[in-house]
This record gives sequence, structure tokens and C-alpha cells, in this order.
Amino acid sequence: MTSANLIKIAITLAIGIALGLVYGWVIDPIQYTDITPNLLREDYQVDYILMVAEAYQQDFDPDTAARRLAILGSQSPAALTTSALEYATRNGFTQNEIQTLQSLLTAMQTYQPQGSGSQ
Amino acid sequence: MNRSILYLFFALLTGLGLGLAYSWFVSPVEYVDAAPAILRADFKDQYRIVIAASYAGTLDLPRARARLTLLGDTDPIAELSAQAQRMLASGEPFEKAQPLARLATDLTQGFASAPFTSTPVPAFNTPQFDTTPTFIEPQQEVTAEEATRTPFPTADFEQTPLAPDIAETNTPRPTFTPTAGPGTPFTLVDQETICDPSLQASLMQFSLIDSRSRPAAGIEIIVTWNQGEDRFFTGFKPEVGNGYADFIMQKDTAYSIRIVTGGSFVPNISAPICTDPNGVTYPGSLLLTFQQ
Repeated sequence: MTSANLIKIAITLAIGIALGLVYGWVIDPIQYTDITPNLLREDYQVDYILMVAEAYQQDFDPDTAARRLAILGSQSPAALTTSALEYATRNGFTQNEIQTLQSLLTAMQTYQPQGSGSQ
Repeated sequence: MNRSILYLFFALLTGLGLGLAYSWFVSPVEYVDAAPAILRADFKDQYRIVIAASYAGTLDLPRARARLTLLGDTDPIAELSAQAQRMLASGEPFEKAQPLARLATDLTQGFASAPFTSTPVPAFNTPQFDTTPTFIEPQQEVTAEEATRTPFPTADFEQTPLAPDIAETNTPRPTFTPTAGPGTPFTLVDQETICDPSLQASLMQFSLIDSRSRPAAGIEIIVTWNQGEDRFFTGFKPEVGNGYADFIMQKDTAYSIRIVTGGSFVPNISAPICTDPNGVTYPGSLLLTFQQ
């Protein structure tokens, strides 16, 4: 086999790889289902945290609030709420919503988990 | 020449295969910024619980509806009801399932309603206006009908569309008129036999109506018979009715019913016997209507 042929084969191989990547990344990428909440878009995560805060305003149960926040990832509940509060401040959330998040943040900053069984 | 084309063809195929393997398995598209619709089922359940808990605090029905839409359920109300029933079936306390059922109920009826609380609330009517000429001043354009209309009690119901603006100009006198409160007993007001051969089972159907003649959701019912007992709540089938619940009866069994709220008790209820056009008998159903 001549070197010219080898070059042709290499080029064809490269074209094939490129086509495969385009197909696999762009045309038909892997469709994810059953994702975990930490992969949610930031605004959805913030809205989720806001819901937890609104629920906390109703029951004042920091244990339940912390457990609900835990599904968003490994960050502490206070860190998650802080991020949400910053996002809310940047994005023009209402004063009432910011106060609700602030109230949850205060609770999460002083929250001490009650044993391992509740998580 | 033919062999060269064959080599090129195989090179292309090999390249394609390598490219696909890399893009699908070695380094697939990283998923970020996902929407709640593709959450795993158990996380969707958790999401619904938080939506319902948030709604219980805010009573913001449009927002709760919008949030439920994010989950991509074809029938969000049915999903809420189904989840509430799953929770009860798995032994979760009613207090945990109630917000879901309540949200389903409110979505069905289209407006927010405050639930009955377990703590009895003093029942009295907020300002009730008399119709003396000195009370209604002509320039206020308050009709007699408006003036005599009794506002909804606000002690146990948060929506007060008739909260009186005119109270600032008139001095309303609260009248402590006894009204049916949350703990008022439900009494059996109607018992209807339903003979429908198409029904798969003999159902004991309940329709509970509160003192304001509205379907009463979240009322616990206990049905006992000689071999057991079952407890369930109204409002978990909002597609049928907010005050609806049902129970499958067995033939030749006598049941006793207790409505937990108010402690009503109805003994000796059993499946009626119906006859089809061919003269064949079959167990029918019952519709029991309780009014507070």
C-alpha cells in the first residue's frame, strides 16, 4: 500500500470520526431522563429553594426545610440558600420573596441536624 | 482501485464508529440547565410535595399551577391525587398528604380555600349590617341587598370578597351568630341506592357537604365491619368531587360508618340488592350524603 493511499485512509478515518462526533454530540446526543435536581437550571433551583422558604414560613420546621434542600446537592442548606438569595437580589425578585429567602437563610445558618435518622 | 475504495469505506465506517463511541459513551453531552420535567420520578414527587407545601403557605394558585406545569405531567391534578393516595397507602400520616390533596382540590375548583383546622375556631360572623335608615346613607350607593348580605365568616375562611370597605364610614356591629364550625357533626341526609350493572364493584360512595353547602374535602371516614376497619379521607378523587370518597363493599356484610369530624355514627349499612332486566340479582352501590 502506497503512502498516498495511507494518507487517503487516514483522512477518510478522520472524516468518519468527525461525522460520528457531530452526530453524537449535535444531531442525536444522549437524551437524559431521570436526572437529579442538582442538574436543574439555576432559576429552577432558586425557585425550588423559594418554595422551600415559602413552606418554611408556614411550618417553621428547619429540619424539613434542610431535608428538602438536601436534594439539590452536597452544598450545605445555608450555602444553597445564600446562592438563591444572591440570585434573587440580582434578578429582581420581589421584596417579599427576598425576605422569605432571608428568613430561611437565618434558619439554615443556625440549623443543627437532629441525629442521622431524620436525613 | 476497487480495493482502495473498500479501504476508504472501512476507514470511514471505523471513523464513524469511533466518533459515535466517543460522543455517546466516553464524553457524552454534559447535561446542565435541565428542566424539572426530566427529573427522576421520586424527585418529581418531592418537587410536588414542596409545591404543595409552598402553596399551603402562600395560597398562590396560579403560581402553584405554573410550577406544576414545569413537571410536564399530562394531568397535574390526577398526579397530585395519585401521589397523595400513594403516600397514604404507604403509611405516611395524613398531614403529609393533605397539602397535595388540598392543592388538587383547589386546582379543580379554581380558587384557593383554607382547610378546616383541627383546632376549633370560634364561629362568628364578621360585621353584619343592619338595615336601619341611619346605617345606609344614600350617597354611598349601597343597595339594601348588599347591606343585608351576610359576609363569609372570616374566622375559618381566608377569602373574604365581602370584606367591608364601607366599614370605615359605618360602624359595624359584630353579631355573634352561631354558625356551623369545623367541629359540627355531619349527619346523614340522604341514602340513595345505585343499581348500575356496569359498575365493577359494589361501592359505598360518600358525598360530604359542609355547613356552607360546599363539598368538604379532607374529612376522615372510618368504616368498620365484623372483620376489620378501613380509614380514608374525602377529597382524594377531585375529578369526581371534592367531598367524595368511596369504599368497596362486600356482599352480606354490615358496615358501620363514623365520620371522624364531629363524631357522626351510622350503623348497619350494607350493599343493596339490585335486579337486572333479566331478573338476575347483583349487589348494588350506595350513595350516602352527609351534611354538616
